Amino acid sequence: MRAVVEQSEFRLVIPSQTRYLNLVTGLAKRAALVSGLDDPTAAKVSIAVDEAVTNVIMHAYGGADDKSVELEIRFTGLALEIHIWHTGHGIRQDQVHLPDPKEYVKHPRKGGLGLLLMSRFMDEVRFEDNADRSECCMIKKLA
Amino acid sequence: MGDLSILVREEGPVSVVEPKGFINAHTVRQFECALEEVVQKERYAILLNCRHLSYISSAGLGAIMGLIETVRDRGGDIQLCNLQENVYAIFDTLGFTQLYKVHPEEPEALQSFLGPS
Repeated sequence: MRAVVEQSEFRLVIPSQTRYLNLVTGLAKRAALVSGLDDPTAAKVSIAVDEAVTNVIMHAYGGADDKSVELEIRFTGLALEIHIWHTGHGIRQDQVHLPDPKEYVKHPRKGGLGLLLMSRFMDEVRFEDNADRSECCMIKKLA
Repeated sequence: MGDLSILVREEGPVSVVEPKGFINAHTVRQFECALEEVVQKERYAILLNCRHLSYISSAGLGAIMGLIETVRDRGGDIQLCNLQENVYAIFDTLGFTQLYKVHPEEPEALQSFLGPS
């Protein structure tokens, strides 16, 4: 039986440093479990969050460790929503090109897999690049 | 946070690399160094025993991808065994189980390197 989680949200702001990845992925996994997702699915949610936050640190901020990454986890009753905000170089939805896994297997190369994992492990992944800050929103449905 | 320890041992011609903990963007350099050290010793039969690996992100997959061509060009291979469910899910989702031989346990994996007995 799935636990009923009231609609709620909480925020966490971390420095743009990879040493905090385990903290946010652990939190994401716990949040997914609390929302009623099973353990394998919660693990996938945590991996998607690792990839999204890593992208912010390494690409949006170019590895700069003096910035911040803001995460908001929302329990909507129907889904678990994870919003990640930053003030670095954002990407727009139309700039997202997912590699084809079949082509990737034929022509192995380093890199380019993070977005693919995010899209495979979450039900929805959206990007917004705004003037003041950019956002990655990932949704996992509970049903 | 982000801890990773890596044990490397020799089982005959096979170098067994056993990461314990997490491989993500924070720890991947340590993982890359361990693999590169093995290759620098001209040991190209590499088995990743993942029994204590609780998590690998695309950064870790990239480290493996970065060496596979070098290793195979020299007649070797990178194979995997003892993958936990979530680690297997990552490899399988990306089609990597077609690229790498995955074994349930280490003895079968070692035998695979040695060929049929």
